[in-house]
Amino acid sequence: MSQLKDPIREGIARGWKVSGGALGPPPERIICDVAIIGSGAGAGITAELLAKAGLQVVIVEEGPLKSSSDFNQKESEAYPSLYQESAARKTQDKAINILQGRCVGGSTTVNWTSSFRTPAATLKFWQDKFGLNEYSVEALAPYFAQAEQRLNITPWLAAPNENNDLLRRGAASLGIAAATISRNVKACWNIGSCGLGCPTNAKQSMLVTSIPAALDRGAQLLTETRAERFELANGKVRALICRFVEPNGALAQAAWAQTAIKIIAKHYVLAGGAINSPAVLLRSGAPDPHGRLGSRTFLHPVVMSSSVFAQKVEAWSGAPQSIYTDHFLETQAIDGPMGYKLEAPPLHPVIFASTVPGFGQGQHELLKSFPHNHTLLALLRDGFHDQAPGGRVLLRSDDSAVLDYPLTDYVMDGGRRALLSMMEIQFAAGAKQVFPLHEMAQPYTSWAQAREAVNALPMKPRLTKVVSAHVMGGCGLAGTERQGVSRPDGVHWQLDNLSIHDGSLFPTSIGANPQLSVYGAVNRLAQGLAKRLTGRDVVLA
Amino acid sequence: MQRRTLLKLGATSAAVLLVAGGAAALLQPGLEGAALSPAGREVFAAVGRAILDKSLPAEDGPRQIALNGLLKRVDGLVQALPPHAQGELSQLLSLLASSAGRRALAGLGPSWPQASIAEVQQALQGMRLSRLALRQQAYAALHDISAGAYFSDEASWPLLAYPGPLKI
Repeated sequence: MSQLKDPIREGIARGWKVSGGALGPPPERIICDVAIIGSGAGAGITAELLAKAGLQVVIVEEGPLKSSSDFNQKESEAYPSLYQESAARKTQDKAINILQGRCVGGSTTVNWTSSFRTPAATLKFWQDKFGLNEYSVEALAPYFAQAEQRLNITPWLAAPNENNDLLRRGAASLGIAAATISRNVKACWNIGSCGLGCPTNAKQSMLVTSIPAALDRGAQLLTETRAERFELANGKVRALICRFVEPNGALAQAAWAQTAIKIIAKHYVLAGGAINSPAVLLRSGAPDPHGRLGSRTFLHPVVMSSSVFAQKVEAWSGAPQSIYTDHFLETQAIDGPMGYKLEAPPLHPVIFASTVPGFGQGQHELLKSFPHNHTLLALLRDGFHDQAPGGRVLLRSDDSAVLDYPLTDYVMDGGRRALLSMMEIQFAAGAKQVFPLHEMAQPYTSWAQAREAVNALPMKPRLTKVVSAHVMGGCGLAGTERQGVSRPDGVHWQLDNLSIHDGSLFPTSIGANPQLSVYGAVNRLAQGLAKRLTGRDVVLA
Repeated sequence: MQRRTLLKLGATSAAVLLVAGGAAALLQPGLEGAALSPAGREVFAAVGRAILDKSLPAEDGPRQIALNGLLKRVDGLVQALPPHAQGELSQLLSLLASSAGRRALAGLGPSWPQASIAEVQQALQGMRLSRLALRQQAYAALHDISAGAYFSDEASWPLLAYPGPLKI
């Protein structure tokens, strides 16, 4: 266990209003100004700003409250406690594994800190296709700048770890431009376990910034509590009904936990993250006159190429992501053949072993290469082409959410080109062998051999390993009611006292790791909401 | 388990059962109380041996200890899954543990405890590259759970030369 100071435990000790799980039940009926569902990027920023405006805020989080004292860099504890479905959330056909946070701080507690402003080309597409004229680079710039200042988002100035430097060197030798990633960290120890919760509180996640700021101003936090549904009447939300959950997400069994909690607020903010936010509205029977709710849910489907180097790479060590290239996003039209962003992921034993394809001798050789293994990933930019319309959130018979996301031939063609690009970069960086993550692939020892093999692979779902850590859309913003779920100011088109403030707002994928896109967009929306509810001007930083 | 719950696995599994002539009423659940049932343990013991084959200790004693550790970690992993995922895994293991399901879904003739490592590996390879979504999904679940669970414990990290967490 970490010997460092734990700001969360200190906050609880000085009287923060936190309930749920071991912290005991909250009252069965809560009356407040604003109820916020979720505690991740969008929820955190909203809570801080609304509390600053003097509003009584209640935050409802399905996951547990864990903090630096709990973060022991072990996957066996981090995945069950900090991730949706124990880091094994899958699309309906099980072709894509989804990593998404489920804890106080949401995905910001477990992300790899990569911070990019929403690309100009993405915003231009939103203006042209979704009537979002206010979403311009210039209009958003001050809101991004405030978020960057608040969360200490700056380019990573330390040397990249070998895992990232291989991307830099490989790209450079092919004449491909690569650049440094900005990170939301302060006095970072360069350990590399960001994905398992930051044990030193260096990562400026919502867990250690905005959520504590809101709690210090008297906000109330309900943990291990699921927002089940809204009660609706006459175009308004009348109440939010919540239930206690067990650590695995099952409804809590204890006698005291059987009663539903009813929260009555003047305004409600839905920020449970894409997939979960549309699911709350689906369970509530929210109006959806144009059939948009839950549709256009995007994933940045990720394909990966694994490789082995003579030297040690130790991809578990050091800032997880510090180098990227957008070369393959920028060399074709945004609505042409699918573009992709290339980055290097950190590797830890469980994620590595479950991702290494196959079994027996071949798998054994790859497992033993772990310290020398360098993997690249490609984020495929979905949502900009008719053949990449994303997926749709559905409810199972037990009312839990599941995403139906068909991997079309168009998307998988992008996947093939991305595998080829990554393998070429890895060979250019000096790889002894590369192994594109596909059930029919082999280790290849030359670029010519690898290219020929991958050009012949059937790029089919489930044969090709596809994962995602960026879930976006499902409550899309649009300038007209016909095209989306949310108005440009974040308010639900049909429910006047409900705002949506998370990544589910995005009408396409972002084309970059989305955390800063959520912070920037929601910073503006929440300032507008604070003004509407209180008449006061508040800013983040 | 009743036939109507089995059918939730989809039309493919219904067809698999029909082909196999399986009697749903005879199936044992794959999980009991959010842990592997005896039937589920039998499947994972054989699958774990086949998938991790060369990565397990070579001598009998340490190998058995490693396999017992694997099954314990699979139990821990299962416990953390949400109810819908536990339900699906229970059904999958239930099917695989029945002789009809084992033949139809895994393509494995001998029973799990009697099958050789090579036979189980051949069955896994058949599922892995199958055209049937259900067989591919079954392979992925068995593969990812076995490999992920095995390497979730520090006892397995020397093979990976992974030093483990830093002291902070």
